[in-house]
Amino acid sequence: MIEQNSLFSYETDTIGNESSLSVRLGRIKLDNPVIACSGTFAYGVEYSQFYNTAILGAVTTKSYSLKPIKGNPPPRICETASGMLNSIGLQNDGIDMFIKKHLRKAEKLGIKIILSIFGQDLEEFRKVASRAADVKERIIAVELNLSCPNVKKGGMAFSAMPDEVEKIVSSTVSILNIPVIAKLSPNYQNLVEAAMAAKKGGAEALSVINTVVGMAVDIETFRPRLGNVLGGLSGPAVKPIALAKVYSLTREKILPVIGMGGIFSWQDALEFLLVGASAVGVGTANFIQYDVGKKIIEGLRNYLKEKKIYNINELIGRLRT
Amino acid sequence: MELLSGEILSNEKYSDNLYRMEIFSPYICKNATAGQFINVKCSPESVLDPLLRRPFGIFDIEEKFNVFSILYRVKGRGTKFLSELKRGDILDFAGPMGNEIDLNGNENNILLIGGGIGIAPLYLIAKLAGGMKKNVFFAAGFKDNSYLRWEKDLIELKINHAVLTEDGSWGEKGLVSDYVWNNIRSFKNFDIYCCGPRDMLKTLQNIYKDRNNKVTALLDERMACGVGVCSGCVVKLRKGKRGFSYKKVCKDGPAFNLGEVIFD
Ligand SMILES: Cc1cc2nc3c(=O)[nH]c(=O)nc-3n(C[C@H](O)[C@H](O)[C@H](O)COP(=O)(O)OP(=O)(O)OC[C@H]3O[C@@H](n4cnc5c(N)ncnc54)[C@H](O)[C@@H]3O)c2cc1C
Ligand SMILES: Cc1cc2nc3c(=O)[nH]c(=O)nc-3n(C[C@H](O)[C@H](O)[C@H](O)COP(=O)(O)O)c2cc1C
Ligand code: FES
Repeated sequence: MIEQNSLFSYETDTIGNESSLSVRLGRIKLDNPVIACSGTFAYGVEYSQFYNTAILGAVTTKSYSLKPIKGNPPPRICETASGMLNSIGLQNDGIDMFIKKHLRKAEKLGIKIILSIFGQDLEEFRKVASRAADVKERIIAVELNLSCPNVKKGGMAFSAMPDEVEKIVSSTVSILNIPVIAKLSPNYQNLVEAAMAAKKGGAEALSVINTVVGMAVDIETFRPRLGNVLGGLSGPAVKPIALAKVYSLTREKILPVIGMGGIFSWQDALEFLLVGASAVGVGTANFIQYDVGKKIIEGLRNYLKEKKIYNINELIGRLRT
Repeated sequence: MELLSGEILSNEKYSDNLYRMEIFSPYICKNATAGQFINVKCSPESVLDPLLRRPFGIFDIEEKFNVFSILYRVKGRGTKFLSELKRGDILDFAGPMGNEIDLNGNENNILLIGGGIGIAPLYLIAKLAGGMKKNVFFAAGFKDNSYLRWEKDLIELKINHAVLTEDGSWGEKGLVSDYVWNNIRSFKNFDIYCCGPRDMLKTLQNIYKDRNNKVTALLDERMACGVGVCSGCVVKLRKGKRGFSYKKVCKDGPAFNLGEVIFD
């Protein structure tokens, strides 16, 4: 049986014979559990050349900071076995540009936006959150990218420091008054503590995982293959890591989880749902299969129909151990 | 730009590591033009290794037959996979990507400078500019004679050209950039398009630093998405007196004003 408490409840809004794909993460309601990951989908407009991106449960934007950021020196991309490393360096044109220009374009297409933000320190997070608060009726949630470096604390990710996580979450929650999602890094041992801290701070849900730190070396030149030396690994190569990290959180029932890392097909998505993710994020796959979001939604719908499951929530957390 | 699949009509081996692939695609033939590229999945259907799509410049378009081609050099696993595809196989690709090169506003004289596989996207410029009755000259430099078969294609277009090889096995012995330098006066009123290794582009940048020619370079950089969302494929361009900005090869390029490019 599926547990029914306030955090993990779902509504049985099955219409006719069509299975319901809608999910809830706290106050966040999605038509289906498929979300485009931050940094892999811009804000949904480019990919609308390939399909109607408004059908996605939501699109998470590139992470925005207060001021534009130029990003890291190239090369920024390196393919690895069934994966890729990136060292984009959080290049973005600043939250104001998103609010003034990009948001309107996404709205016109009916795209449901989760706005991803970050800062170098608590102060910047607060400032970006205040700007985001100006458009809070036009977005469904704000995601805090807590995998970015905490410049004041020696550059380690905020995610590594539960105290910082709690502070940032609670102050942005109080500024925003809309659901806040904490996106955590897989690169530190204390993921569960960081997740608890996010909950204490008032987060609505967790996004897990961000990229796994990695590198590659060119043996001809003896140089690192990325301009920034280190980068983040994503794609099919990280899926087992991602599943294990998601599982470590869903087992503790801390907060609803958006599971991501290497999802390329509806079968991958289903694995994450079975380990207890309430929704899934699709990232790198968008670079290869431009309409993968649509394909995953269709695949899940067909699976439910075939199995005569009327509500996708019946599958969430059904892992048998 | 669309996700496409097209039947491979031929995959001709030009030399050990060089192939020309012809693909049936009315969509590309109708919508693509000089300077643009396609992004090809270089692994079997539903196989995810190698993972990323590979970009290839559009080499030729034969609108009459709804066929376009790419000319590619086997470099690693992705291009190896391509070289093993056969007539009748289906190619999974997307395009056309990148900006078109507008040849209308140009000088009547066009100089194309290609180094190695850099000649591939220039060939379509040669064809289109030739069709516009412009005076086109193609200067091409290679290590050896492995691109010999390509000269036949160029001769079909009736384009004047010079070939240079480092080992002297074909054409003149030497570097294409030296050739350009030695003939700089003859190319005074030419608009220039160049594509090739970084070192060649750097030398050309120096040669044309204080001259008035409009010099356009087609650049390559590692790509992930190819559609402008990941910011992976950036190159550094001068901005103002001392500043710079990063521009995306896939969305803002692949053609850039050579004078503005910063090669670190
Ligand atoms: C806009 C553009 C147009 C191009 N046009 C052509 C063309 O017409 N003909 C041709 O032969 N080649 C062209 N290239 C280069 C071609 O994309 C690479 O040779 C190819 O990706 C190599 O793949 P691989 O798996 O064989 O090599 P590997 O070295 O195994 O590839 C590993 C990774 O590096 C990337 N990579 C390797 N070399 C390059 C490169 N030079 N530029 C960008 N990414 C690279 C690959 O895409 C892949 O992600 C072009 C590149 C760009 C950016
Ligand atoms: C090129 C690239 C850029 C990314 N940029 C961001 C970002 O700005 N903010 C963020 O929170 N995550 C970013 N990510 C991480 C993804 O959102 C996602 O968490 C991760 O890639 C794992 O999922 P995947 O394997 O499906 O890509 C980026 C990932 C990639 C590949
Ligand atoms: S390859 Fe993604 S922005 Fe150019």
